[in-house]
Amino acid sequence: MRLLSGRHLRELMEAYVGEPEGLPPIDLEGQSAFIEEYFAAGAPELKMLFAVCGIALRALSIFLKGKPFSRLTSHEKDELLNRVMSSRNPLLRGVAVLPGLPLLMSYYRRPEVAVPLGFDAKALKEESNLRVVTRDRSLPPKAGQGGEVGK
Amino acid sequence: MILGPTDVKGDVSRSVDVVVIGSGAGGGPIAKELAGEGHSVVVLEEGGHFTREDFNLDPADSYMKMYRDAGQTITLGVPFILLPMGKTVGGTTTVNSGTALRMQRPVLKKWQLTHGLTEIGEDELNLIYGHLEEYLFVKRADPEVAGKVATTFLSGAEKLGLSCGWLPRNAKECEGFGACAFGCPSGSKQSVDVSFIPDAVKAGADIYTRCRAEELRVSSGRAAGVRGRFLDPATGRPNGKRIEIEARVTVLAAGAVFTPYLLLRQGLANSSGQVGNNLQIHPATQTVALFDEPLGPPKGIPQCCYVDEFKGEGIMLEGGTVPPEIHALALPFAGRRNARLMASYPNMGIFGGMVSESDSHGRVLDLRRPGNRPAMLYNLRGRDVEKARAATVLMAEIWFAAGAKRVFTPFAGHYEITGPRDLRRLERSRVRAGDILGMSAYHPLGTCRMGSDPKWSVVKHTCESWDLEDLYICDGSVLPSSPGVNPQLTIMAMAMRCAGFIDERLSA
Ligand SMILES: Cc1cc2nc3c(=O)[nH]c(=O)nc-3n(C[C@H](O)[C@H](O)[C@H](O)COP(=O)(O)OP(=O)(O)OC[C@H]3O[C@@H](n4cnc5c(N)ncnc54)[C@H](O)[C@@H]3O)c2cc1C
Repeated sequence: MRLLSGRHLRELMEAYVGEPEGLPPIDLEGQSAFIEEYFAAGAPELKMLFAVCGIALRALSIFLKGKPFSRLTSHEKDELLNRVMSSRNPLLRGVAVLPGLPLLMSYYRRPEVAVPLGFDAKALKEESNLRVVTRDRSLPPKAGQGGEVGK
Repeated sequence: MILGPTDVKGDVSRSVDVVVIGSGAGGGPIAKELAGEGHSVVVLEEGGHFTREDFNLDPADSYMKMYRDAGQTITLGVPFILLPMGKTVGGTTTVNSGTALRMQRPVLKKWQLTHGLTEIGEDELNLIYGHLEEYLFVKRADPEVAGKVATTFLSGAEKLGLSCGWLPRNAKECEGFGACAFGCPSGSKQSVDVSFIPDAVKAGADIYTRCRAEELRVSSGRAAGVRGRFLDPATGRPNGKRIEIEARVTVLAAGAVFTPYLLLRQGLANSSGQVGNNLQIHPATQTVALFDEPLGPPKGIPQCCYVDEFKGEGIMLEGGTVPPEIHALALPFAGRRNARLMASYPNMGIFGGMVSESDSHGRVLDLRRPGNRPAMLYNLRGRDVEKARAATVLMAEIWFAAGAKRVFTPFAGHYEITGPRDLRRLERSRVRAGDILGMSAYHPLGTCRMGSDPKWSVVKHTCESWDLEDLYICDGSVLPSSPGVNPQLTIMAMAMRCAGFIDERLSA
């Protein structure tokens, strides 16, 4: 089940992720697929709340900015999200915070985003495969270091 | 053997000495100890079985595989508190940070004086802790592999003259792959899935995975085993196969949320009315600090050092580094502000402050939400809000002493702290629970508390239910209050004790 229309999801993604310099643009298809998978594995209420927050943000756009969310410039969207996020009313704030969870996660988990930032999960995994520890065997010394393989 | 739903051909029906529900910090040690004593043991674990090969340092992937509700479990109340729980062989220990601390002495005194737990002696407990520390290779984190975020934070704390140091961890030769909470990729962390469970299996225990206990069997006023269902790995829904275990002793170790939930659903073991009450969670706030220079590669130990100067006041600081997809969520901004900061991800560090002694208590309720989901009610009370603020201010002071240029907090109106003036403003302003953007908590405890009075407690000091003979409860739910520190070692210690009493019972 699609949560929001593709257009609305793209708008939200772009607004939350905010065009980080030097990093790739959003990937609507890939990120949407992840978000669906993430919601399917999680609490059903969260998926519903995500859609509700998306709709509430549209309403807030009219109320606070006087025009529909889709007509806001990226600067205005940015202002709106951060204004709502800074509210001292926890429910209102929640409307801006909650969508950020899957949207930001779906972007920053992509290797083509995480690796340039310095986090290369694949390389770390490969390195860890060479340094396997078991309860009855100690680590071999690192390449270039002397010593015996412990027992 | 460890048996998944595909290893099981039809319905399972067995008769054993002991059935254990849950394979985490409580259930794992009990299974190992009792199987080691020659008793026939079966463990039912709702989550799947994953091994080092599956741990790929991908946070979202591990949330979806190994956490309940993909890590999206949230308390209902103010503020929203994310309360992630493991659902896998090894329970939450498989995805925890590996801090292995003994409980604080004044807490034990409180348990003895306030809860009448005089039978739990300090010497006995120290003996068990000592044994556990040896078995789990507990030692202080190695500063060489801790990572620059940790060394930087500690340098700030030292400059301010605060009591601080390296945390003891149940990790053998840890080289800091930075992914404890997503499953240790090198096998270094001695979580229950790589320690107690394999040893329980060696001693003859059978572990049924993706197998949810749904009902305790009760016969002539005593617990007599459990009924449950196997779950489809893809959907998490029952796959049609059932399990029924008849047992001389039933051990409920499903964690401080699901243990009371099971009991409440059946209306069992609750003559005290305390099942599900007294939920404590160690709510935590966090700060993100921005430096001019990079804080080194992402390698390091995510939670390896502490500042315990104010532990007497119920504040403990512990923390380290997280991958970008988690880091982005910790920033109190969306859109371009978030993006601009994320571009400096390598220059940022993150640290958490835990309210280790709190006045707030929540409840686990059987609300019958779809899909086996209890509700957790929890409101942060005034004094704990103060403590969360004090912890945040303290972390910011430490970051600045360490050279940070800006610090980001979760307090609305104080998201960005640029120096002492902003800090004083945060310190002086009136803050309410609702001002906190979000908190997280990792230690649900206390919902089936132990005590000497059946009117006020759910289990005896032996962990046996006051109401239902042959039912033992042993997980975070039985701790009558927070141990003042991260709880896994204390839960394991109580489990070792409990196993001794069960062994006596079975051997009598
Ligand atoms: C991210 C994170 C980091 C943490 N870091 C630390 C740390 O560094 N140090 C520390 O001391 N503590 C830490 N903790 C907390 C610690 O891991 C837990 O307190 C501890 O594991 C709780 O033990 P338990 O036996 O109560 O429950 P768990 O370990 O959660 O085990 C309960 C098991 O029961 C299973 N279960 C539940 N219901 C059923 C059912 N109906 N049928 C079958 N099985 C069921 C669950 O799937 C689960 O596997 C951390 C927690 C988290 C989430």
